[in-house]
Amino acid sequence: MARSRLLGLLSVLALGSWVGCSSSGSSPDAGTGLSLSPDAVRLADQATFGPTVALVQDIQQKGAAPWLDAQLQLLPSDLGTYPVIVDNVNTVCPMGSPPACARDNFTPFPTQTAFFRNAIGGPDQLRQRVAFALSQILVVSGTEVRPNYAVAEYQKVLLRDAFASFRQVLQDVTLSPAMGRYLNMVNNDKPNPALGTNPNENYARELMQLFSIGLVQLNADGSVVVDGGGVPVPTYGQDVVKAMARVFTGWTYPTQPGVAARGHNPEYYIGPMIPVAANHDTGSKQILGGTVLAAGQSADTDLQQALDALFAHPNVGPFIGKQLIQHLVTANPSPAYVARVSATFADDGHGARGNLGAVVRAILLDPEARGDSKTDPGYGRVKDPVLLLTGLARALGVSTDGVYFASTSGALEQSVYQAPSVFSFYPPDYPLPGGGGLLSPASAVLDSASVFTRANAVWKLLYAPPGPDSTVAGATGTQTSLGDLASLGGDAETLARSADALFLHGTMPGAMRSAIADAVNARDPSDVGGRVRAVAYLVLTSPGYQVER
Amino acid sequence: MRLSRRELLSGLSLLGLSPLLLRNGAARAAGSSYQALVCLFLFGGNDGNNLVVPVDARYDDYLAARGDPANGGLGLPLTQLLPLNPATGTATFGLHPSMPELVPLWESGALAVLFNVGTLVAPTDKADDAAGRVPRPMSLMSHQDQQNQWQTSLPDQQSRTGWGGRIADGLGTSSLPPLVSVAGNALFAVGATSHPLAVPAVGGSTFGLTGLDSSAPGQALRAAMDAIRTLDLDNVLVQSVAGNAVAAFTASGALSPVLAGTGSTVDALFAGQTSGLARQLNQVARIIEARHLLGATEQIFFVSLGGFDTHNDQMNRQQALLAQLSQGLSAFHQATVQLGVDANVTTFTLSDFGRTLKPASGGGSDHAWGNHQLVVGGAVRGRTTYGTFPTLALGGPDDFTSEGRWIPTTSTDQYVATLARWFGVSAADLATVVPNLGRFPTADLGFLG
Repeated sequence: MARSRLLGLLSVLALGSWVGCSSSGSSPDAGTGLSLSPDAVRLADQATFGPTVALVQDIQQKGAAPWLDAQLQLLPSDLGTYPVIVDNVNTVCPMGSPPACARDNFTPFPTQTAFFRNAIGGPDQLRQRVAFALSQILVVSGTEVRPNYAVAEYQKVLLRDAFASFRQVLQDVTLSPAMGRYLNMVNNDKPNPALGTNPNENYARELMQLFSIGLVQLNADGSVVVDGGGVPVPTYGQDVVKAMARVFTGWTYPTQPGVAARGHNPEYYIGPMIPVAANHDTGSKQILGGTVLAAGQSADTDLQQALDALFAHPNVGPFIGKQLIQHLVTANPSPAYVARVSATFADDGHGARGNLGAVVRAILLDPEARGDSKTDPGYGRVKDPVLLLTGLARALGVSTDGVYFASTSGALEQSVYQAPSVFSFYPPDYPLPGGGGLLSPASAVLDSASVFTRANAVWKLLYAPPGPDSTVAGATGTQTSLGDLASLGGDAETLARSADALFLHGTMPGAMRSAIADAVNARDPSDVGGRVRAVAYLVLTSPGYQVER
Repeated sequence: MRLSRRELLSGLSLLGLSPLLLRNGAARAAGSSYQALVCLFLFGGNDGNNLVVPVDARYDDYLAARGDPANGGLGLPLTQLLPLNPATGTATFGLHPSMPELVPLWESGALAVLFNVGTLVAPTDKADDAAGRVPRPMSLMSHQDQQNQWQTSLPDQQSRTGWGGRIADGLGTSSLPPLVSVAGNALFAVGATSHPLAVPAVGGSTFGLTGLDSSAPGQALRAAMDAIRTLDLDNVLVQSVAGNAVAAFTASGALSPVLAGTGSTVDALFAGQTSGLARQLNQVARIIEARHLLGATEQIFFVSLGGFDTHNDQMNRQQALLAQLSQGLSAFHQATVQLGVDANVTTFTLSDFGRTLKPASGGGSDHAWGNHQLVVGGAVRGRTTYGTFPTLALGGPDDFTSEGRWIPTTSTDQYVATLARWFGVSAADLATVVPNLGRFPTADLGFLG
């Protein structure tokens, strides 16, 4: 479908869903509470780090497609600039250094706090949300890449490329020194018979398996291609892994200004890795689909041709597109939805393949994403823990330096930019517990222990937001004003309906509203703040709020 | 001849089950009413080639392939290996030098080593594999898939249940589910009908609500929370989240004081250990200590240690991890001895896969297949090894590539069946727990008595 026709169709759909909302009905009102377009709230759930009344009003006024187009134009929020250090804690933090020295230089903590400040307050919500998804698909983790500035440099690449061509993403990720360090492409040398070593297979394998095409051939709708016996057809074999390992030989860290260049440069994470001809395996290589890279090519030519071959593979659209759907909209998209997104990946309407901005737009404007309510019982996705924290913060007027959020995301099994492995925080095939065959990736980090860690984090933010951490320079702590809910008065029913509109886009059952009203009415009518907190606590800890749907 | 999958299944199912049928439920230790399995997953693929190393004539083959550590190779010096002395005779294998705590366990007979075990669709060898007569496990050498297959023991299909969960399906629930993970959710623990409980490690989060007080408004809040969990269940995902919350709240009352370590006598055994694994095993020990209070008679635990994907700098990284493993296992075994249940608790390792014998650029090793595993406990017929040690030759009879990736000679099915049988799984249930077991000639590897 041509992009213009798709747009036209969807804007009609969007208009239709919001016809019932008068422009003034969305203001906080002490009489009736918040009235918000459910579909606009849903779009905010899918495309941002959480709805605010102002954001939802903005979406309502612009319409979904124009709002997305405006978001696609916004430049990245700044993740910060951090000291360039050598990866030696004893040099950087000698005896007598404050304890915070190691935390601030050898963990991603400073970048994590910036992530949360931006996610909660930055204007480029869609870019950040997509970059957050990409950071979980193309993983570099601070568990192994220790210098904070290295993690920050990598995440800036993902923020910059969030709406770029996926070919550009592959290029920038492959040559990122942080990725080079994480998956051992940096200083990966051609075979050394004297030492008995082979080229390192790590980056070659995970680039194909996780970052681009996956293990098995896919149809455009994401379904698996099987052979005559019903067995999935692999995309490549070990021979291709070995050949690709040889492709990615002969790269080292960028040369740090003022430091002499060497065959194996010392660690330095600003700018792309650079080729070292002497360490590149120049033999011919048979890679994906029988493509042969000729003997005698440079490290860069081999790399470009290999990335071209990967990018052209028909799997990339459904493989990456489906994962983005799962990160933004629903864990179990219909094959038709995946196929529509794959088609946009293949051609953005202007002949370009891999246009991520167009792909994101297609994902969020798809009929399977839009609408006031979804009645398919398997629809939606369990929220990332990060989205629970930012959703609360954005809707309830939290101002923060990000310190509490950075540490709490770890306690909630999603320490941003610090995944336990290249497989990120949760596997894409984790079965929904008791879910009759549905997948629920994020359910892997929602276990019985996290029931309490999540509820207790909500409590902390509502009832006892932490003050400034004296070990953090310039710390301001966290304050919770309760945002738009604070100006609605203390009427239980009004508060419950408003929380329903803002947090659950109108899906709250009547019995839940009654239960909330009972709890609110156990508090003194004059304790308006206590009443608002009670409503927020009950809604944010409810099973319904843990699912974006 | 190339067998179809159907032919393979029907042919192999005729083999191997009979010894098992005779031993149905035989294994409960005398006079005891408690039995526990502790699954310890080494995430990333532990390099078994340096876990246990031959110290006899085969050491030269090992060193030749691994390379001299002085030149950046992965070979461990012979003099540093810790001899695993058998009851009689001289040692033919040595343990990684960072694991001295395991030597006394070995010598007391509480530790056994299982050689070259791995995911297998059916028995195979180099010739069968090369000729494609036996299908390989799906997505061999992929972390995610091989982690899953070790946890499901179903390498020829995508399974939504793990073998621990399938055992738990056959157990009753007392005040808490029979399967408790101290390492979050894992496919191992997911059953068809049973769901695991996940609890924090020692020093971790609180397994209960903080903040809510006993005032009337506080209690009203709690009552509303309880009510809300039973509402809004039209969506299956919401339903699943609610079910998880119900299980957590149901268990928290009895478990909270146990998990807080109130009155525990086992904590001292873990003193000084700060690793995540030690804190997890300490928590398992506390729960076992409170088994009577909790009404637990049959339990399966899941703990893990990550970081074994040593593509580079392996000598330093694996040494640090194996030291944590050794100290944690030793303290935990001592705890079971102190609690008088060492014969009732068996701890065993799983891992994604083994790693190449040949080093990779950067001082590490790449993904492989068969691997060596450890089994610890008072019921272990220890101080000996089980299975067949591979020939340490690149491109040799056990290597399906040219970098030293061993074709397993024992399957996860056999390993799992041996553990499950000891745990008391009936022959009938074993067919559900280990559906492919009949394809393999021996159902009981004999390392538990």
